[in-house]
Amino acid sequence: MGVVSVFSLTRTVAGLAVGAMLLSGCGSSLDESGGSKAAGDQSAGAVKVGLLVPLSGVYAPIGEDLRAGFQLYLDQHNGKLGQRKVDLVTADEGEGPQTGVPAAQKLVTQDQVSAVAGVVNSATALGLRDFFDESKKPLLIANAGADDITGARKSEYVWRTSFSNGDVSAALGPAVAEEVKGKVYLIAADYAAGKEMVAGFRKTFEAAGGKVAGEKYTPFGKTQDFQPYLSAIRKSGADAVFAFYAGAEAVNFVKQYKQFGLAGKTQLYGTGFLTEGGALAAQGTAAVGVKTSLHYSTELDSATNKKFVDAYQKAAKKPPTVYAVQGYDTAAVLDKALAEASGDSGDALVKALAKVGSIDSPRGAWKFDADQNAEQQFYLREVKSSGGTAVNTVVGELD
Amino acid sequence: MATHLVSVLNGLAMGSLLFAIALGLSLVFGMMDVLNLAHGAVYLVGAYVAVALVADGAGVAAFVLAVLAAAVAGAVLGGLLAALTRATTHHLDQALLTLGVALVVAEALSLAFGNDVHSIAAPEPVGGGVTVLGETYPVYRLLVIGFGIVLALAVYVLVERSPLGSVIRATVADRAMVAALGINTGRVLVGVFAAGAALAAVGGVLAGPILGAQPGLDEKVLLLALVVVVIGGLGSVRGALLGAVLIGQVQALGTALLPEYASFLVFAAMALVLLLRPAGLLPARTGVPA
Repeated sequence: MGVVSVFSLTRTVAGLAVGAMLLSGCGSSLDESGGSKAAGDQSAGAVKVGLLVPLSGVYAPIGEDLRAGFQLYLDQHNGKLGQRKVDLVTADEGEGPQTGVPAAQKLVTQDQVSAVAGVVNSATALGLRDFFDESKKPLLIANAGADDITGARKSEYVWRTSFSNGDVSAALGPAVAEEVKGKVYLIAADYAAGKEMVAGFRKTFEAAGGKVAGEKYTPFGKTQDFQPYLSAIRKSGADAVFAFYAGAEAVNFVKQYKQFGLAGKTQLYGTGFLTEGGALAAQGTAAVGVKTSLHYSTELDSATNKKFVDAYQKAAKKPPTVYAVQGYDTAAVLDKALAEASGDSGDALVKALAKVGSIDSPRGAWKFDADQNAEQQFYLREVKSSGGTAVNTVVGELD
Repeated sequence: MATHLVSVLNGLAMGSLLFAIALGLSLVFGMMDVLNLAHGAVYLVGAYVAVALVADGAGVAAFVLAVLAAAVAGAVLGGLLAALTRATTHHLDQALLTLGVALVVAEALSLAFGNDVHSIAAPEPVGGGVTVLGETYPVYRLLVIGFGIVLALAVYVLVERSPLGSVIRATVADRAMVAALGINTGRVLVGVFAAGAALAAVGGVLAGPILGAQPGLDEKVLLLALVVVVIGGLGSVRGALLGAVLIGQVQALGTALLPEYASFLVFAAMALVLLLRPAGLLPARTGVPA
């Protein structure tokens, strides 16, 4: 029977693979909310915009926030961008390029949108670069952080309203070098973003005289138990830790950091994604004391931000995240560019994008730099408990 | 050295959870020849039961209530799955059927609880840490190890030393013969299916303070449980125990000693076992020649 069962297991696994392929095949064609009234809606003045965000898979929470931010801006401006009625076509980016790239191609070729905004996954963003470059349509990246998007692989049609990985962590380096007397241990998820975050931090941290105790990458998406790594950190004698994780891994890492008694003894630093949105809500008070760098916090003390937080809270029934702000700002950028542009062609829009100038955002004023990446202020944040809920208080500005 | 001993301890905690989760999968597979791919989804149901019932700073009572509620939910789901899979005897059909159930359950959970990551607090009195060999170790994980030991003993007595256990073992070995003796094997099968699913759901609650609850966790847990079953041998309680403890140690100690290979270690262990002992380390004794 043992042998028989092994055979049946093999057959079953083969069946599973087929099932999985079928499923991933359908994924991209689902969720075409708004796509039904495709053509025929080209009335004078209306402009079609594609929103490509993950509505399924592990990045769905980020996608929901991006969409809510974008939608809030639209609602606040009577559904218009640049005084023109917007026909928003949403497509599901899914988890990776295998779903994201076809969805974007559908938006451009079938729905004939004038510009596409969104994109959470960096691999999807890089996979789309050539397509948008060749079809001469503007792509506004509202999250994906790979350095190359506005670096080695930049295109005049690709604009980023969010951040590049290396910049977020590089901003933190000098501050940590100043605060920590001893050595710092670097740990991150083992994928492109993790490597870029650590490299960006390490560069400015060491330049400012900081010493590294060790560097470790944990299997991405497969690590649930961080105890072996936490023991290694303890053994290294590090005085502080710099970490990059997001989502479920961020929750487990920060909670276990506390459970295994490192919190309070070894200061934990990270990029803001470690303690953002849903992750912070799940970590709760275990995250208190964690210091991070990011270009936004709900606690930023500005009139623009307060108004935004109130409006978002009312619309989405939860506090905004950095992702919501990025969605909101992407709509703001499109608003300015469409008002400026002479016509709907990709080239006219790109010319207008170059002239949008400073964006008055909840995160503070920012503008596009020469690489078409967001040039912005980063903040040092510390998680504090405010009436039982953990919030990212702003400690200061990073330069 | 002390660091590695803590890793061993941690491996035991993970092993205890894996044993609770994989046991049902192994017995159902061994007995009914049904590969229940919804097993991970049942686990996730347990985890979300804990999300719903255990608030931050909740006491032991809420946690025990969550365990009981999860056990009931798991048993009901298991009973349903048993009924569903009896509709067809074809392996691939059964696998696809349970995979479909798994997808529906996962999607329903995602609709009900959102796509955000949820964490579950350990009950207040055991939420802290104790010093073990110079390192802080969470008390809760020590309790999980204790639970694993109690569960292993209870299941051993039930399956190996009780009249009911002998019926279960006989059904694994030769279902037709047991039926010929006038025992309703259908009821035995449903019972084992329900009990196994209940254990998986309870595992979801108990693993909550360690692994949390989020979409996609069901697949990770199912994969680990499958590895445990393949390593231990199908339909065997001792095999599931050995496989779970082994995988727990490979994950904890292996990662501590060979961090560069952390993502391969579990599957390397499985490949090694499949090469040397294709039927698993401790397969169930069977009356039907393979």
